[in-house]
Amino acid sequence: MANQATMHEKDLQKVTSSQRVVSILVKTLLYAFLSLMALIVVFPFYWMIISSLKSITEYRLPIPTLFPKEIIWHNYIEAFSAANLDRLFLNTVYVGVVSTLLSLVITVLCAFAFARLEFKGKNALFAALLGTMMIPGELFTITNFITVNNFGWIDTYTVLIVPFLVSIFYIYLLRQNFLQIPNELYLAAKVDGTSDLKYLWKVMIPLSLPTLISITILKMMGAWNSYVWPRLVTTSEEMRLITNGLRDAFTDMSGQANVPVQMAAVAIVSFPLFLVFLFLRKYIMKGVSRSGIKG
Amino acid sequence: MKVELRNLTKIFPSRNKKSSEEVVAVNDFTFTVPDGKLIGLLGPSGCGKSTTLYMISGLQKPTSGQIFFGDDDVTELSPENRGIGLVFQNYALYPHMTVKQNILFPLQNLKGADRMSKEAMIERAYYVASLVQIDELMERKPSELSGGQQQRVAIARALVKMPKVLLLDEPLSNLDARLRLQTREEIRRIQKETGITTIFVTHDQEEAMSISDMIVVMKLGVVQQIGHPQEVYNNPTNLFVAKFLGTPPINVLSGEVRGEKLYISDDAVLDVPGVDDRSVFVGIRPEGFIVDENGALKCELSNIEVMGRDVSIVSKHPASLNPIIRSIINADQSVSGTSTVRYSLKSNKVFLFDTDTEERIYFGDQAKNEEN
Amino acid sequence: MDDNKKTGGWFTEAVLNTFFKEWVWNTFCVKWFWKSFCVNLVYKKFDKWKAWIYLVPAIVLLLVFTVWPIINTVRIAFLDGYSILGEVGGETYSFGISNFLDVLDEYSGFGEALKNTLWLTFITVPLSTILALIIAVCLNSIKPLQKFLQTIFFLPYVTNSIAIGMVFEAMFNIVGLGTSDPSFGIINNILGVFGLDPINWININSSYWANMAVMIIYIVWNALPFKILILLGGLQSVNKQYYDAAKIDSTPRIRVFTRITVPLLSPMIAYVVITGFIGGFKEYSSIVGIFGDDMQAVGTEHTLNTMVGYIYDALGNNEGRASAAALILFAIIFVVTMINLRVSKKKTHY
Repeated sequence: MANQATMHEKDLQKVTSSQRVVSILVKTLLYAFLSLMALIVVFPFYWMIISSLKSITEYRLPIPTLFPKEIIWHNYIEAFSAANLDRLFLNTVYVGVVSTLLSLVITVLCAFAFARLEFKGKNALFAALLGTMMIPGELFTITNFITVNNFGWIDTYTVLIVPFLVSIFYIYLLRQNFLQIPNELYLAAKVDGTSDLKYLWKVMIPLSLPTLISITILKMMGAWNSYVWPRLVTTSEEMRLITNGLRDAFTDMSGQANVPVQMAAVAIVSFPLFLVFLFLRKYIMKGVSRSGIKG
Repeated sequence: MKVELRNLTKIFPSRNKKSSEEVVAVNDFTFTVPDGKLIGLLGPSGCGKSTTLYMISGLQKPTSGQIFFGDDDVTELSPENRGIGLVFQNYALYPHMTVKQNILFPLQNLKGADRMSKEAMIERAYYVASLVQIDELMERKPSELSGGQQQRVAIARALVKMPKVLLLDEPLSNLDARLRLQTREEIRRIQKETGITTIFVTHDQEEAMSISDMIVVMKLGVVQQIGHPQEVYNNPTNLFVAKFLGTPPINVLSGEVRGEKLYISDDAVLDVPGVDDRSVFVGIRPEGFIVDENGALKCELSNIEVMGRDVSIVSKHPASLNPIIRSIINADQSVSGTSTVRYSLKSNKVFLFDTDTEERIYFGDQAKNEEN
Repeated sequence: MDDNKKTGGWFTEAVLNTFFKEWVWNTFCVKWFWKSFCVNLVYKKFDKWKAWIYLVPAIVLLLVFTVWPIINTVRIAFLDGYSILGEVGGETYSFGISNFLDVLDEYSGFGEALKNTLWLTFITVPLSTILALIIAVCLNSIKPLQKFLQTIFFLPYVTNSIAIGMVFEAMFNIVGLGTSDPSFGIINNILGVFGLDPINWININSSYWANMAVMIIYIVWNALPFKILILLGGLQSVNKQYYDAAKIDSTPRIRVFTRITVPLLSPMIAYVVITGFIGGFKEYSSIVGIFGDDMQAVGTEHTLNTMVGYIYDALGNNEGRASAAALILFAIIFVVTMINLRVSKKKTHY
């Protein structure tokens, strides 16, 4: 009996130890695979940064160096002037900030009406708005292009800001958030004589701040990354946004381009996004996981 | 402040667009709440008690009828102009504000002549906080408070404008059993101290009975009975009220009156002077039974539960409308016999009801009790 | 005339009488009447319209920039040979389907754009979904470094697709092709480490599929973060008890993956695939990032244009054709989404 028991234990030990080997092996493979994938994901960023700091001769070495022998900060200064980045940078910030602020006001008011106020045809209207989300943006772009032409808005800041102020997705996102706030808070505020606007400002906005931050970030990123629309509706270089400047300044595909300067420009454009990512990652991920819409 | 409801009616249009059925939430409610009293609106869910409260608060407008505060018709006034305080079932505290900010919030909305200085506001806030004994918690957020503390904050917030009428919607339903006992005493104390006319809504009859000066029992939008809790308990006007009040609940049996005697399954159990021959529902309060070897009501004994002071006897009877009959007797009364128990009945604890209308049939001097 | 005057006089008098005597008297003397009057007139009426005041800015903008475009785009798509300049010049157009015929004409380039788009979509969506699923499952089964790696994998989401497209261009670019001392680009250098010959990815005379490969790699790289985020979120919300139950039954890992993980994750997979297809059909700026506005590798014959690119090309000179193409794109997206929904309804296990 005793013998059998020990046999059994030994067997068990064998099983567990072999299991342990397998699990260590699996873990190692897992980490190896993930590290490899992470390396692939990060590599373009790495390459962008080190290339932007190389001299052109070093960049063109047949066997590339993985770290610049001599760090050339001057590339960045050159990039700024080559692509007129300072002007475009200001343009983009201006358009981004103004359109974000206006968009927030409109979105908050609209979401509040849909979440808290009663009016005829509310649900039908909301369903219709959600329906338009299925239509690809290009379909709107065509007529909007004609419309802004008729308005005489071409080559103004207005044309870069106004057509995209209302996003049904943001309204939807915020309305859902507003609906989660118990209705009793609204009734309590009414009993206290709080006006709708004050209630909105003092209670609903503070309580849905995370969603508002998500919207702000996504909207700012949208301005930062917009390319097609500014190219369509601006004629002068000075009115374009930063992404346009970036692409237009470096179109030389002959292989003779000054790649380090180009990479410096790319890094300049990417840098604010990294900062946002670093500090506000939580909000972006939250917003994105509910959207599927980029920027 | 006296609160008067005149023919108050609320009809909700049907939710379903296809049917034109309307829901009458409150039907022709007339009642005057005397100044400085604590009134409980009592009834099962869907009886219209919350709707009544919301109409008094002004959050819902009555379909017809009027509401008077004192001599003023407030029917068309918006909530903030009525001088009321309202405590919600889930307290509705603003989660992002501290206790202090929550209590100050209603004061900051005051306009014109009512506007208070900052110091006065804070002083007032601390005054009501001390009234409900939460002055230690002023800097905390609602999420850091227990349910009972949140309740007190909600009451403080409702009281801070010194309302003429305080309304409480199911004030105790979100608390656990022990806190509930404590808090209801607390509500009683605060009400007495401030002397504010207070109306609260509850589905728990024990809660309403224990602290109210008056209770209003409602069913499907119709007021069933209004009165002092004990009075309503002792003299229910119909079977619904009798069944709704009292723990353990009243026992209901079917019986018959023949020659001014009440028969339950051919046993004459009680004299009922002045009642014509008819079949009736017999309601007997648990404390209306006396264990009596010569008693006429013979029941099959199934269980005896001793609960300290009292003994609860669970028995069965074929005429009973409930599966069991539960009686409560003093512990010093002993139950002899093992399979049957015999009872005689206290006539003031026995009520007869019409089998169709379920209205009370009075007998003997019961009608007189009514006037007491 | 006289009569008129009389009536006028009567009217004024009546107004004076009723209004000033009755109303003013009432309003000032009977307080409650005044109050209820105000409440009735201002509060109740205003209440009805209040919601619309909140909605006005959004509704106006939506009417101009969302509702009108839908109507107008359909309209001009069916106007033969429409162009704005013509319309401004007072030209009128008749209804017809010539714009659609133009689009489908073999010289319009739509066929190539459609072909490119379809290839890109049908290759990148399954590829990125499977890769994202594997990465998400792996991430979900590790503890240390999970948050760190998750952050890394999300990094490409927060990028400018034009900017990083230019980085990819640089990585695949051969500098000094045809000279005696070319730099093959970092990708070719890495391939060289494994003993592979350098490939002409995007330079003069590069092949169609070499160009496509670069685009596919970039698009997959770009699509991964969103998919990983959604799938990992889904995995983390799966009840751990299923896995414990499987462990007790000593179910092999592969079986756990195919029989538990994938079915439980099917709604998220469906979501990721559907949004992936929609995004795939609208692919444009990542290609601009690599190849520039021309949508073509320098010194090659084949275009790398996509449907969206086709629409924008047409927009400059022929709005009718652009509209027709946009409607076709919408139809394709709509049909593919419907098919996806149908299939996923059958396959998802909720």
